Amino acid sequence: MEKGETLLEHMEREGMSRRTFLKYCASLASLMALPPSAAAAMAEALGKARRPSVIWLPFQECTGCTESITRSNAPSVEGMIFDMISLDYQETLMAAAGFQAEEALQNAMKENYGKYVLIIDGSVSTGLDGAYSCIGGRSNLDSLKEAAKGAAAIIALGTCASFGGIPKANPNPTGAVAVSDIIKDKPIINISGCPPIPVVITGVIAHYLTFGTVPELDKHGRPKAFYGETIHDRCYRRPFYDQGKFAKTFDDEGARNGWCLFELGCKGPVTYNACATTKWNDGTSFPIESGHGCIGCSEPDFWDAGGFYKALSTAASPLKYVGAAAAVGAAAGVAVSFANRARKSAAKAAHETTTTSDLEK
Amino acid sequence: MSSISQIPIQILPAGDGLTGQAEAVLTEIVEMLGRLLETGVGDSIDLRSLPLSPADKLWLDAKLGKGEVAINIDAGGRSLVTETAISGVWKVEHRDIEGRMVAELIEVAAVPEIVKPHKTDIEKAYGNLRTSLKQFS
Repeated sequence: MEKGETLLEHMEREGMSRRTFLKYCASLASLMALPPSAAAAMAEALGKARRPSVIWLPFQECTGCTESITRSNAPSVEGMIFDMISLDYQETLMAAAGFQAEEALQNAMKENYGKYVLIIDGSVSTGLDGAYSCIGGRSNLDSLKEAAKGAAAIIALGTCASFGGIPKANPNPTGAVAVSDIIKDKPIINISGCPPIPVVITGVIAHYLTFGTVPELDKHGRPKAFYGETIHDRCYRRPFYDQGKFAKTFDDEGARNGWCLFELGCKGPVTYNACATTKWNDGTSFPIESGHGCIGCSEPDFWDAGGFYKALSTAASPLKYVGAAAAVGAAAGVAVSFANRARKSAAKAAHETTTTSDLEK
Repeated sequence: MSSISQIPIQILPAGDGLTGQAEAVLTEIVEMLGRLLETGVGDSIDLRSLPLSPADKLWLDAKLGKGEVAINIDAGGRSLVTETAISGVWKVEHRDIEGRMVAELIEVAAVPEIVKPHKTDIEKAYGNLRTSLKQFS
């Protein structure tokens, strides 16, 4: 995309028709939970949008978030949106290195001061004045404070940037914190998930370009369009939960029949994310569809929540379980807890092979 | 294999697994169709945003039926626009270049929005056509 060019002008130059664009907007509206009638208005607004400068800083992270976005299949909606932004600094993707890379960062911040979107992935180390994680001789803590000053908005990409994530897990040796723990005077959008769903960042950028504002956020600073409902609310196995049909092990009859994985530790009832509707791997499936419970990776402190295979109702966990069907679930969960303990004792006494579930108890 | 009926695939009856959502969608379609008649303003429903079960979808498809018009659109992947047996009610499926479904809508309109050419495009086409005609004269 050339400088000053609108998105529609760019698309026309690339040989894309207006109809193609309208179709992309229809799919974006669907992703963003906007009414379908919003597609035409989106096409109008997005068509006139000029690409914003985006500066992407990776801190204490595993690059999983970057992989999630860049490995999403192109050509796609994601690809189109990435064409709409000017990604001026991203260490993993840019060709420049060393002094040239740092100069590119300084130039991008100076030229677009007050207007650029800052994306952060990874948590911020605060231990030893941030010395645990440095780039170009500067701590992430310093870099964040400097880059945040000129940002119009900040996107905290992934659970580490949103809530501290795995680096913050007990005992948190580096003093890892979330971006929102450091920056208090800028709009911050948390796109949590380990990794986050690619289309969610697409949707957030499209929203920003369409409306010029950050989307409506939940109490954890996440866009409600994607984090408004729990995995459980949108799970195709939900009817089995309501009927009290639960898989008790990963290979019993219930598991083979696709029954609810609540008793095997599924964190779907307390996890807000869009996996059940947007799915993963080109819309192939999501963890529950593959037979494994949700681990709650888009929630704060999910790593310290007491065990991925513990039923929610048994663990004294930071992921609190509340809801209409809680009583039913809790009763079922308590029963599972006792059953598991009994099974573990029995297995121990009989020197039988213990299961993952037994080990958690 | 001597006959197609021996292929071990069973289609579940539509009555099995109905959640009541499809009936609500049908009620909404009736409302929209009424508004279209009164005001001429169309509307649409995003089927992918609703937790419809496979049985719900079958039930809805059966209720809407099949009309006379089917339009194929090749724009950034295939799109299929089909008229239902209820005049003014269309089913719109958008797929991307790799054939993945990206949007599935019920659109209530005389002609779905995606089918209509944009005025700017018509103007541009008019200009181009006139220019090419001049080259022959």
